[in-house]
Amino acid sequence: MSSSLVTPPLVKAKSLSCPNCGAPVELRGFAHTLSAVCPNCLSVLDTSSPELQVLDTFQGKERVQPKIPLGTRGTFNGTVYEVIGFQERSVQSGGDFYSWDEYLLFNPYKGFRYLTEYCGHWNVVRALSRVPETARARGRQAWRLDGRTFAAFDAMTAATSYVIGEFPWQVCRGETVRCEDYISPPYMLSAESTGDEVTWSMGEYWPGSKIWQAFRLAGSPPYAQGVFSNQPSPFAGKIGSAWRTWLWLNVALFVLFLLFTFMKANREVFRQDYVYLSGKSSEAAFVTPPFQLNGGDKNVEVGVHASVDNDWIYLNFALINDETGQTFDFAREVSYYHDSDGTEGSRNNSVVIPSVPGGRYYLRIEPEMSPSSPSTRYEVFVRRDVPIYSYFWIAAMLLLIPPIVVLIRSVKFEGLRWRESDYAPASSGGDD
Amino acid sequence: MINNPLFLLYGILLLGATGYLEYTGRSFSRVNQQRVLPKSIRDNPGAYRSTYGGYSRYIGGK
Repeated sequence: MSSSLVTPPLVKAKSLSCPNCGAPVELRGFAHTLSAVCPNCLSVLDTSSPELQVLDTFQGKERVQPKIPLGTRGTFNGTVYEVIGFQERSVQSGGDFYSWDEYLLFNPYKGFRYLTEYCGHWNVVRALSRVPETARARGRQAWRLDGRTFAAFDAMTAATSYVIGEFPWQVCRGETVRCEDYISPPYMLSAESTGDEVTWSMGEYWPGSKIWQAFRLAGSPPYAQGVFSNQPSPFAGKIGSAWRTWLWLNVALFVLFLLFTFMKANREVFRQDYVYLSGKSSEAAFVTPPFQLNGGDKNVEVGVHASVDNDWIYLNFALINDETGQTFDFAREVSYYHDSDGTEGSRNNSVVIPSVPGGRYYLRIEPEMSPSSPSTRYEVFVRRDVPIYSYFWIAAMLLLIPPIVVLIRSVKFEGLRWRESDYAPASSGGDD
Repeated sequence: MINNPLFLLYGILLLGATGYLEYTGRSFSRVNQQRVLPKSIRDNPGAYRSTYGGYSRYIGGK
């Protein structure tokens, strides 16, 4: 249906006089409304008869200014609605009063819609003509409608505390209604019961900016405080997406790992056994036979395996280029201890020297041990162009950070949502 | 993946850094380098004193 069919013509509102104070009362809902409120004295008038009988008079002192003035027109899903009524509803909880605003919207072809606002959170609400099916969610009774399951969020008795404009029922200040809210963000299913009558309605969360845009209101909407019951989570769908991205990046990392594993020569160029004789705190330095390191600037791994047992051996190394005298100094300790409580240390240790130019090299080794240590066998080996697997482990760990952050933020958001619920989990606290 | 452009960028940078470190063979090992050393060291290794002092020996144990 085109919007021209649902845009009400700009007819002048019917104007009558208030029988209580004589002020003009404009009627915008025509035959569709049953009561109206005088904007001057706030008397509730019966609009079903031309005499405008007074149903209720206003005794309060405080007037509430609607954020969207009566008579304002706004477009929702291509349909133009006019604000014809406003009421403030309040609920008492543990000695505190909470209130929210409800706007009655009217289109002569589409009927009524409602707009609710609480602390900057807006819902566009329509009455349902069918009853949802019962279901269960979060261990409680829930409702199911249009493929969605609505979980119980809160239940309260709300009273109309302020009213202005027209309504399709005989509105009355102080009127109470039992409200039960069920959520499936961004939707909220509400059941309002008075006596035996239950009215179901479906609300859809709208950000204030969209409401302001729909009504072309000046300024900016009130700031949305906290997390509202059916406010869609900004992280909805992002957790799965983040884990999918994590999975693909890990696949890419694994491909990179395989690539370097096959690319690297990882060739052993030297291996020799030595024995450290007991009774000395240090042994004379010695040099190994020369070995060839091929290629350009590539890394070199020098490793040690020592058969120490509840002991240590410390080895000073110098990797020396036999032709140029270029030297790389480093040291490694091998220590291994064990008892009935477990083990500590390792019999292996190694060092990776980056960017070692090709050439003929030898090692100068200067071992140290405790004078009380027994004779100990140790083995030294040299490998050229080795892959460094620790980088891939570190990268895999760092790749975990973003999805975990998204997960934590999503859980926190849902925690804030359910903290306001009557059915909050024990850890969320329900009194905030 | 397109829903997480920042994560994707972070991941690509991380993979790039991993590839760069792996390709260049860089490591976190602490190694000192001396440019000139007389060839006589080969015949008299005890004459050379290592300048390396960054690796502290573990003196604990059970």
